[in-house]
Amino acid sequence: MFNENSKLASVILKDHSLLPVINRLGIKLGFGDETIKNICVEKGIDLNFFVETINVFHYEAYFPEKRLLDFPISMVIDYLIKTHQYYKNYLIPENDRLMELFLSASPGESTDNELVRKFYTKFKEEFVIHINFEEREMFPYILELNAVIEDFSLRNQFIRKYPSFSITSFEKEHSNMDDKMDDLKNIIIKYLPPNYDQNRGNAFLYNLFMFEKDLKNHSRIEDHIMIPKVKQLEKLLVNHD
Amino acid sequence: MISSHNRSIVIIISSYDILLAGLTEILKGSLATEVISLHRGDEMIDYPKMDGNILVISTSDEYEKSGSFIRQILFSADHLAFLTLHLDTKSNYSNLTINLSDTAALLCYKVNEILNSFVAISSKETGTELTRREIEVLQLLTKGYANKEIADQLFVSTHTVISHRKNISEKTGIKSASGLTMYAILKKIIDVGDINQDDLI
Repeated sequence: MFNENSKLASVILKDHSLLPVINRLGIKLGFGDETIKNICVEKGIDLNFFVETINVFHYEAYFPEKRLLDFPISMVIDYLIKTHQYYKNYLIPENDRLMELFLSASPGESTDNELVRKFYTKFKEEFVIHINFEEREMFPYILELNAVIEDFSLRNQFIRKYPSFSITSFEKEHSNMDDKMDDLKNIIIKYLPPNYDQNRGNAFLYNLFMFEKDLKNHSRIEDHIMIPKVKQLEKLLVNHD
Repeated sequence: MISSHNRSIVIIISSYDILLAGLTEILKGSLATEVISLHRGDEMIDYPKMDGNILVISTSDEYEKSGSFIRQILFSADHLAFLTLHLDTKSNYSNLTINLSDTAALLCYKVNEILNSFVAISSKETGTELTRREIEVLQLLTKGYANKEIADQLFVSTHTVISHRKNISEKTGIKSASGLTMYAILKKIIDVGDINQDDLI
């Protein structure tokens, strides 16, 4: 398990898929041999949040729910928004590019290529709609709810805007997204006709694997940290009345 | 979601760091896809709802203390087994224990034997070829029929259709309806012309 005394360089050398994660937490490369603790102090980053986040990402089975629920919701939302930006600005366009490269180099039956393209495009569209919805509707609701808990004088204004104030009205299933990503990977690995360009196929798959790992982690944080945390806040608001 | 068939997790529980570090290093040479080391059984609280094939290695003391708690928290494991860790150097050789004097090769062998037996059980349970009935269900599914409609056409219950769908997904590794449609086309189970692509994929 990584801890505050781990050198960040060693952590990255051990698991380079953490690179975008540390970026989201506000750290760029060039940190020399500094420990996580020193880097966080210097950059004003919450040390515990940093350590737990990279551990949860690196160790797939590790998920200390109780401790994670203690972090301020604004910190969690900030991380989730940065993750969305990473998907929209980099991972999805990169996936598009790699898929086109892959399909254009694979002479196979054009209908097969068209199928892969269609399936991926539909998945992507649904995915973008989903994250845009969260950013435009759900996250603002959560942040406003949090503001009310910190300052109850905002309460009336909040209730007028969200008369039923309940996160359940926003909740969307994540499993469907994960399923489709999984299906695409399985179809390419198991059932694609053999005459395709291997290197480009691999490059596309690597990116999909990376995307899947990141998305799985993202859903885990939303479903098991963000949603339960918001339910706690909603209860606080009700009990205050 | 990671397909649970591919995931073999070994959890080592010991209060000795030297043992944890040593076993973790040695088991890098085993079939385990992930090795988790813990000082106490109750630390499993931080690893909730794990799926896949899981092997827990702990001393018998620790097993007595937290065995039932571990079973509880690992309720979603596909397969679960325990190996006893013997810290007594004199203890005799057995396939069900890990001994301090075991060589690295023997340790990996014992662990692999168990992990392999899980995989053998899984593949016996499912197989990979679709049955004729499953192909019929898949064909109707790709035409956009709901479970109830498929059941009526095949003169079976909706429950049976759901059970076929579950088996199809387990055998192919594909869960979504659009993914299954794509599978059916690639495997020439249906013709592209038979379906409305814009709706189904």
